[in-house]
Amino acid sequence: MSTVDLEAKIPNNVGLRDNKRLMRALEKWQPQFIDWWKELGPSDFNGHDIYLRTAVGVGKGGWAHFDYVKMPDYRWGIFLADAPEDRKIHFGDSMGEPVWNEVPGEFRNRLRRLIVTQGDTEPASVEQQRMLGHTAPSLHDLRSLCQVNVEEGRHLWAMVYLLHTHFGGDGREEAEAMLERHSGDDDNPRILEAFNYPIDNWVDFFCFTTFTDRDGKYQLASLAESSFDPLARTTQFMLTEEAYHMQTGENGIGRIARRSAEIMKEGRDPAAEGAIPLPMLQRYINHWASASMDLFGGEDSTNAAESFAGGLKGRYRESDGIYKDPKALQQFYKLEVPNDDGQVVEKEVPLRRAMNAVLLDAYVADCTRIVARWNRDLKAHECDFQFKLPNRKFNRHQGVYAGFRFNPQGEIIDEATWTHEHKNWLPSQADRDYVKSCMKACYEPGKFANYIAPPTKGPNDTPIDFEYVKFH
Amino acid sequence: MSNRLCYVCEGGDCTEKGSGDIHDKLKDLVAQFDPDEEKIKIRRYPCFGACEQGINVTLFPDKIFYSEVTEADLPAIAAHIKGDGEPVTKLTGKCEPDVEQIIWDMLDSPY
Repeated sequence: MSTVDLEAKIPNNVGLRDNKRLMRALEKWQPQFIDWWKELGPSDFNGHDIYLRTAVGVGKGGWAHFDYVKMPDYRWGIFLADAPEDRKIHFGDSMGEPVWNEVPGEFRNRLRRLIVTQGDTEPASVEQQRMLGHTAPSLHDLRSLCQVNVEEGRHLWAMVYLLHTHFGGDGREEAEAMLERHSGDDDNPRILEAFNYPIDNWVDFFCFTTFTDRDGKYQLASLAESSFDPLARTTQFMLTEEAYHMQTGENGIGRIARRSAEIMKEGRDPAAEGAIPLPMLQRYINHWASASMDLFGGEDSTNAAESFAGGLKGRYRESDGIYKDPKALQQFYKLEVPNDDGQVVEKEVPLRRAMNAVLLDAYVADCTRIVARWNRDLKAHECDFQFKLPNRKFNRHQGVYAGFRFNPQGEIIDEATWTHEHKNWLPSQADRDYVKSCMKACYEPGKFANYIAPPTKGPNDTPIDFEYVKFH
Repeated sequence: MSNRLCYVCEGGDCTEKGSGDIHDKLKDLVAQFDPDEEKIKIRRYPCFGACEQGINVTLFPDKIFYSEVTEADLPAIAAHIKGDGEPVTKLTGKCEPDVEQIIWDMLDSPY
């Protein structure tokens, strides 16, 4: 098991003290990160004591510590999951060979691009959410937002560590560029489009953490299978923290829906009470689910094939041995594709080229589970409304469905139908104005804004009326 | 190495109910008769979605979905894995069939 050094300027379990050159490089990057955090991190809450979880290790017996901390003083550390010493490559062309502890030359550019693209999303989401604290529906939710933000900051550290350690001068430049690009910046935006929109209300935030962070889960899970061992071990530990982010979103949307159902059960209209009507919430779900599906990339992709063949990205839970052929050489993926005649036909794609689609399948199954969970709760509150996950063809701007129009059920439609109907499927400006009008900050311990039900429990077994944020 | 899989849920609710300990103790019990994972692999799984019925544990390809698992149930689960006992039926059938089906669909991947 690795040794955790919590006393170091940068907490870590990667033996930073023994690598002075790397330590100096990271300690030079650290103040730039803190400056970025203060300038573009959560607005106006940096001086308050917030009850936060901090990663302190990776082994059994607890990996995190809870205490009050001011966010700029958060101990952002570098942690890699422990791994067996004799780990072998378990998929792709090099299956059976030892995993790599250094970057093979032939994969240097591809690995760097994967790490930079993943790393860029981490500070991007912090920037997107920086104003949200001003409208937090409770101290519990304000704490959750801050927890998500500091941990996304730690995930940036994780990727920067890989760049500094394994990619030399290029890696250091990429690490600096992570703090130079900014979400929504006209001249120097974040790499992925979904990370350039401000998230300024809590419906968007909970949808983002449910659907977009979940894309992150699947991307991290595929990298956790990587033959490049430092990347696999880094992302394995990131997944531990990411689970809380997705739970924040899943529970958040569930609590908003429950509150609306409670109001409806009493014979009142959520729209008249400052709560979120369920059809409106469905439109937000449609928007974020479809935008997040775009992040998986093209369903038929030579890039994906090369990343799999090279052993850089595996399928979801590849190492559990659930797939029939770890080399994925002999099979075809049945992909529905639209043709120029306006019909959807089935096409067989060599399985390696369909790796993004296979990963998306696992994501869709996960999202289906979540929607089913929300619907069970609605039923328990005697509410007839049921959410539906939009079909993967709906509202896509990447992949084989981009450029075609589909309804949420996945039926191909013409442009006129889309123009007429899309306001029923995606949030309108009126929806956004209404949701914005509901966003009232509520900072009294144990109290919640009217559009959201309380959670069933607090983090680390705290009571719901716990003072999660101490204002000074 | 076996292709038989046991997943212990480590979703938020199950973790708070102690699924980390359940995973470790079940793994220790099974390691006594299957140290090299020749009969089964015991792994954590992010979330099955049957949170109200946690702690959840699944066996595949057996397609057995155990819910409300406690430490006291582990010897019987381990005995079934070993082949010395029947499935622990008092722990099955507690969650919605559609929730169970989602994990089987993923594990039954045609690829």
